[in-house]
Amino acid sequence: MPGDMRRDFSDREELIAYLAAEFPAAAAESDAVSATIGGRQAAEARLAAMRPAPYAATRNFLSGAVTRLSAYIRHGVLSLAEVRRAALQAVTRPEEAAKLINELAWRDYWQRVYAEIGEGVWENREAYKTGLSASDYAPELPADIATGTTGLACMDAFSHDLISTGYLHNHARMWLAAYVVHWRRVAWQAGARWFLSHLLDGDPASNNLSWQWVASTFSHRPYIFNRENLERYSDGVYCRECPLRSNCPFDASYETLQARLFPDAPPPAAPRRRR
Amino acid sequence: MSMQNPIIWVHGDCLSPRHPALAAYPGAPALFVWDEELLAALRVSLKRIVFMYECLLELPVTIRRGDVATEVLTFADERGADGIVTSDSPSPRFRRIRERLETALPVRVMPVEPFVRARQRLDLARFSRYWQAIQVEALSDSSDNAL
Repeated sequence: MPGDMRRDFSDREELIAYLAAEFPAAAAESDAVSATIGGRQAAEARLAAMRPAPYAATRNFLSGAVTRLSAYIRHGVLSLAEVRRAALQAVTRPEEAAKLINELAWRDYWQRVYAEIGEGVWENREAYKTGLSASDYAPELPADIATGTTGLACMDAFSHDLISTGYLHNHARMWLAAYVVHWRRVAWQAGARWFLSHLLDGDPASNNLSWQWVASTFSHRPYIFNRENLERYSDGVYCRECPLRSNCPFDASYETLQARLFPDAPPPAAPRRRR
Repeated sequence: MSMQNPIIWVHGDCLSPRHPALAAYPGAPALFVWDEELLAALRVSLKRIVFMYECLLELPVTIRRGDVATEVLTFADERGADGIVTSDSPSPRFRRIRERLETALPVRVMPVEPFVRARQRLDLARFSRYWQAIQVEALSDSSDNAL
């Protein structure tokens, strides 16, 4: 019927060209397209490749055995329940799947919170525990972060990956979010909006509440990292090439960074290292 | 509430061929609407649209764009539908659209299979408390989670 959008495409290129023409504002935001293909068939292939025990052992490494299921779960192509069952079926003892199921539970948890607070996911759930008030944080994302031109090889790579692939490893999301909020003092909402534009799994609940977890507006203390942590879990790939490797803002102990970033924080706000 | 001739409203939180409404009403006309106001508000980039469109191409749905409630009701009118079936979502936008639909037609919201069946009211103040409450269930293969 007139008004119906097309369903017949000879290949992916034709689909992409059609959608770029139909949604010019989205293409202007970024015309990059992910290598991740949508649909149940692709989702089932990823599900079949899921390895819960290696996931538990290596998930914090960017090169780790992560599942890449998040976009399919976000859009309900796979349900959390069936991924949970598949994880249990892929192991001999349930404990081997515990870490993966714990991470699935984070999404369920954020969805349950979302059902209770709705648009409240955009508001600070609690005050910052950084010794700063909400008005100390800039409302907009700085252009050098959005364009990946900060000079920091790690953060610039994460920015480019976000925009070109629509995906970031969870640890990279946490590092980038901590950099935006704590090193650059930008309101988490600005970072959350940026992620929602680009992440294939972008969801107001998981995304915003995770930003709030990093920011400390939905956790007991801010999340920060240091160079040692980033270098280890990225296998050093960014630090080796970084023009700022001898002038790295992350190259310090957690105690030093805490004092530098949060000089006015109340005493017990020891930073959390990772989830 | 008995519907003889419903349409199915498919939204972006459930783009599965195993959609509970598609399973419950096989052959019923189904519609997905690109929410233009939401796309603009979130400044959604092209790659997200491509991913979702590829999901949609595996579903037996008509695809349109515009104001979601208006388009769903127009589609229902075209098909002479006596109701609308959809799947649940925690999104407040979903709730507002559903409320607009309900001013014109009965709406049946089908649950999606829960991650776990919580046996008590869950304390959501912190993840640790929630996980404490559900972890035995979550790691159990024998629970009756199938709907």
